[in-house]
Amino acid sequence: MEPMGRLDPSELSVKDLPWQILWDKEKCSLCGRCTAACPVRAIELGVHRKRILQIPVGLQEHPSNLFSLYHGIRQRTDPAHACTGCALCSLVCPNGAIVPIRSAETDKLRFHVNAGGTPRRRGGRRNDPRSLLDEIKFIRISMLTDPALDAGRHEFELRTLLGRVLPPEQIPTVIAQDGWAPPVREIYPLIIGSMSFGALSPNMWEGIQLGVAYLNEEMGMPVRVCTGEGGCPPRLLRSRFLKYVILQIASGYFGWDEIIHALPDMKEDPCAVEIKYGQGAKPGDGGLLMWYKVNRLIAAIRGVPPGISLPSPPTHQTKYSIEEAVAKMIQSMSMAWGFRVPVFPKISATSTTLAVLNNLTRNPYAGGLALDGEDGGTGAAYNVSMDHMGHPIASNVRDAYLNLVRLGKQNELPLLAAGGIGKNGNLAANAAALIMLGASGVQIGKYLMQAAAGCLGSEADRCNICNIGLCPKGITSQDPRLDRRLDPEKVAERLVDVYLSFDTELKKIVAPLGRSTSLPIGMSDALGIADHPAAERLGIRYVI
Amino acid sequence: MSPKPTIILPGMEKGLRVDSRILEERIQKAVSDGHRVIEVIAQGQHGIGGRLWKAGSESVMVRILGTSGQRVGSMGFPNTVIDVVGPASDDVGWLNAGARIVVRGNATNGTGNAMAQGKIYIAGSIGARGMTMTKHNPRFDPPELWVLGGVGDSFAEFMAGGIAVICGQNPQNTENVLGYRPCVGMVGGKIFFRGPHQGISDQDARIAPLSDEDWEWLTQNMKEFLEIVKQKDLLPRLTGDRGDWQLIVARKPQEKKSGTVRNLKQFREAVWNRELGGGGLIGDLTDRDRSPIEIITTGTLRRFIPLWENAKYLPPCQASCPTGIPVQKRWALIRKGQIDEAVDLALLYTPFPATVCGHLCPNLCMQNCTRHFSSLPAVDTTLLGKASLQAKSPEPLPPTGRRIAVIGGGAAGLSVAWQLWLKGHEPVIYEMRDKLGGKITDSVPRSRIPDEVIEHELNRLAEKLSHRNLGQAISLEAFVKLREEFDFIVIAAGAQTPRTLPIPGSDRAAAALDFLRRARNDEASVGEKVVIIGAGNVGCDAAAEAARAGARDITLVDIQEPASFGVERRHAEAAGARFLWPRNVLAIASTGVELSGGEVLPADTVIVAVGDQPDLSFLPEEIATQRGFVVVDDRFRSSDPRVFAIGDAVRPGLLTEAIGAGRIAAEAIDDLLRGRQETYDRLPMLDRRRVKLEYFDPRVLSFEDPASCALQCASCGACRDCRLCETICPESAITRRTLEGEAFEYVVDADRCIGCGFCAGACPTGVWALVENDPME
Repeated sequence: MEPMGRLDPSELSVKDLPWQILWDKEKCSLCGRCTAACPVRAIELGVHRKRILQIPVGLQEHPSNLFSLYHGIRQRTDPAHACTGCALCSLVCPNGAIVPIRSAETDKLRFHVNAGGTPRRRGGRRNDPRSLLDEIKFIRISMLTDPALDAGRHEFELRTLLGRVLPPEQIPTVIAQDGWAPPVREIYPLIIGSMSFGALSPNMWEGIQLGVAYLNEEMGMPVRVCTGEGGCPPRLLRSRFLKYVILQIASGYFGWDEIIHALPDMKEDPCAVEIKYGQGAKPGDGGLLMWYKVNRLIAAIRGVPPGISLPSPPTHQTKYSIEEAVAKMIQSMSMAWGFRVPVFPKISATSTTLAVLNNLTRNPYAGGLALDGEDGGTGAAYNVSMDHMGHPIASNVRDAYLNLVRLGKQNELPLLAAGGIGKNGNLAANAAALIMLGASGVQIGKYLMQAAAGCLGSEADRCNICNIGLCPKGITSQDPRLDRRLDPEKVAERLVDVYLSFDTELKKIVAPLGRSTSLPIGMSDALGIADHPAAERLGIRYVI
Repeated sequence: MSPKPTIILPGMEKGLRVDSRILEERIQKAVSDGHRVIEVIAQGQHGIGGRLWKAGSESVMVRILGTSGQRVGSMGFPNTVIDVVGPASDDVGWLNAGARIVVRGNATNGTGNAMAQGKIYIAGSIGARGMTMTKHNPRFDPPELWVLGGVGDSFAEFMAGGIAVICGQNPQNTENVLGYRPCVGMVGGKIFFRGPHQGISDQDARIAPLSDEDWEWLTQNMKEFLEIVKQKDLLPRLTGDRGDWQLIVARKPQEKKSGTVRNLKQFREAVWNRELGGGGLIGDLTDRDRSPIEIITTGTLRRFIPLWENAKYLPPCQASCPTGIPVQKRWALIRKGQIDEAVDLALLYTPFPATVCGHLCPNLCMQNCTRHFSSLPAVDTTLLGKASLQAKSPEPLPPTGRRIAVIGGGAAGLSVAWQLWLKGHEPVIYEMRDKLGGKITDSVPRSRIPDEVIEHELNRLAEKLSHRNLGQAISLEAFVKLREEFDFIVIAAGAQTPRTLPIPGSDRAAAALDFLRRARNDEASVGEKVVIIGAGNVGCDAAAEAARAGARDITLVDIQEPASFGVERRHAEAAGARFLWPRNVLAIASTGVELSGGEVLPADTVIVAVGDQPDLSFLPEEIATQRGFVVVDDRFRSSDPRVFAIGDAVRPGLLTEAIGAGRIAAEAIDDLLRGRQETYDRLPMLDRRRVKLEYFDPRVLSFEDPASCALQCASCGACRDCRLCETICPESAITRRTLEGEAFEYVVDADRCIGCGFCAGACPTGVWALVENDPME
């Protein structure tokens, strides 16, 4: 858009934007698909005037001007319509005539995404492609020293335990004394982390649930999925598929009355209950589902009127300490299902993790602890929270595990790790590294959106507009015009692919360790890293 | 050389076991020496019987008595026959390349591992990992493994070729002749087996029926096997019933894909939807269509839709004209060749198109012209204004007999009277001076406008407005009387009382309006040095007139940055006037003007041009005023519902603002007289960014005549029927529809349109807009 009148401080040129549209006039057929598809209307048809000087050779005649006009695709430069780099234009272009390119220079747009005094909010995860987990190598390969296993040939029991695991010698005594032992679930160690119905579109949510059911019932893989904080569709609560579901309760308490009402009709207990105290992507900040994503459907599941914004405070309003939270919430959640369902808290990875952990070790009802690191994703948060707040997951899990070791309880209280697992595509390697650092299992979200639904977001700040309901793939949109771009069946198929391939990769990693019947939880002698301070910090071998 | 007799090689010597290496050397030497039958009394030596190529094509027989070690017949050659008279240890026939090996007992793990040719006959059962990694090189016959009993776990892993026959005769495990999880990674070859099993690796292999050819091969070769292992009497049992036998073959890569599990589509229908109910997860909560759609959609599924917003917004020229003249419409008429209509149109809006538009107006229409905002010259309205001298007066509506008193015969009063006359009412003008025109005829310097233009337009007015009372000032009593006699009163009395400065010597200064009036009549003498206090447009007019009256040194003083602009400012500057600001005037002395800081500007004449106040002495108290001006609403109605006020009596402003106020007030009065609801609803102005000036030649710098202006007008917000939208639409979704008379419209076929917005992007006039489609629940 040509500037009209005076220059505004926030008047930007294409050069100032993070993403620049490269358009090829020669290839373009002006079919209109790119401008129709662009989620943020960053491109439009432009009218261009062209001037050619006609200068006769020899200057025998007077030179003249020839003006002509052409139409082409033009990039808009106002912050509200800045290209997000999603490249849906490239996806729909029949001629390969258009593509967004990331500016090599730090963009100027970032200085202006605060109109009206509101700082930038977005979805995605920390805009930093680096990953310590990617640097960890598995250096212990059984070379004729002990039985090396073959990932392609041997059978593996890659299961983990969720719930309080009593030491075997205590079980008879405990049951005799209390008539009760803590519930334990044997599940697949790659857990689908909490993404709410609302944050995700109905089709995405159903696709995930469908895929999980398929993995359980057709492939025999006990995969579990956490609901996130948005309630749970009543039909799912009353179906046998509930046993594959970890119900989440968080500070907004959305949908819990529906869950409670469904208690008498439940055919199965849920796998577990996760109490969310924090989120790795935005530690110390609450959730917010903006009103335009709260349509009738979302409202019905959450038990609220439609068309209002739904904030979740950063903290549980009536819980002031971990002691109180444990006393109240873990116990109450356990009571809801007659103490048959493991209940565990999830917190942002933090320098205060051990205080929480130590408390949980003393609570017989605590079924585990989930730690969510700084690289976790979110549907909506302030950019400052995403980019600058939070604790790396690797050292946090390690500290927690070694703390359990010191208490002699490393096999009793499972740790779940999350946050940036597979952020560069190395899902199995990252998961295995965390398991060998001490996690009993890992939780993923963003990876699944990318692999199972084609999420375009990246740590180069591509797309990342989950918060405004304009997801070009229909993953995080409540608008049927976008949501319906996603076929739940295809999502489920891709989810199954992800799990089967993860399973093979995980076997490729653990087989050379000679493990086939239990996960190498805390088997840190298998890990190495070419980074001395990191090796020291994590207590793993320094290798170069 | 005749064959040498059988050589016997003991595995023990002097009570000690012969090393495997020594035994191997002795066997090789025996073959070199021409022995073709070798009997080894083994003591667990490894690798016996392999690699006997030195015999060439001659057959070598190795009979092993005693305890054979591991890898019997390893790397065996096709010329070799090995007969293990008893059981064998691990890896019988490892990497066998052709030897025939008979084991007259059981063999342990790894039997036939990685063999590629040759045959292994086992008279008993074998241990784990038999027939693994076997190959079939097409240059040779495939390898064979015959087992009379059963096989151990992990049989035939990664088997790539060859034939295994498991007869199931007295197997070690009577419930499973194939062992645990056979055939993992099997990619080729065949396995015949007889007897019960507990599953094979379904992913890699499948159980297939025996063909006639298979059965024939099996029965033929079974005879030889049983002969060799001396169990001929078993032949009827083993070949009596073809139904006892099953065959395992490897799955081809493309077969592996389709597992036995159902696919997701089937799962969704048969399991998911059955458990949850129709519509799946949220079928109970919504009945909306959730089937997948394309990215590019049409109809209601479009995210954006185009709207043809023809004349839904005012063009910036019209929107910024206080008089409200439809400037752009006039250019459009000219483009159609209707120049007379274009000229006449102005008189519907103003009685002074030539005087004001053509000469005295700062032409806000041009200042706000879209072209002007893109560094292009604005289309020149003054040309149209000047042409308006030829305009034909419009016909008024039939008389209503309603009478309205208009106090003041200046621009505002004449405007409201003109409009009321057009609407069929009877305006009666009361003007205190003896001529009409107010400031236009009173204080505007002659340099600004030729007299004949004003005269022409005043004559036109005088012709139509017959009720004029000149030289008649209105008193409070007269006002009250008028209010009784007339339907409405419009106060258009202007601002006549100069504002003075509260400083010593202010009586020495002339008021600007007085001075201008005298100057206009050439009655002003100013001397050489003139100081004008107040550097606004009136001050500038005074400066120009002072120069005309002979002043040589003219200074305008202002307390702030001068607000003057346009023609007035240019005329003052042309007269050599100096602008001084910010300056605070302390006093006016006989010698000149004293400024703060001690500066004195010598002056023969001092003129004060700091504004004027209305004289509202006739106004009854109940009519609200504020700071000396009448208070009105947005349609110029005062606190008395039958009294309106316009022009400088309300707030000081431009002539065009006074004329516009007259028009609005007349509309309001007309509405009230005719008992209509308020109909006056101004459209919003078009966002200039919607207009595409790229279609115009940037090198046109000025305009000769109205016709060339009309061609450069961008027609902001009004369709010029150029059919570009129809042409650019990639989906042919836009069509032009002819309506009644000259009217037309462009319509969108929603079932074709994809919402690309190309119409909006290309439209020269900004008529097309791409807007968000209605939300879908």
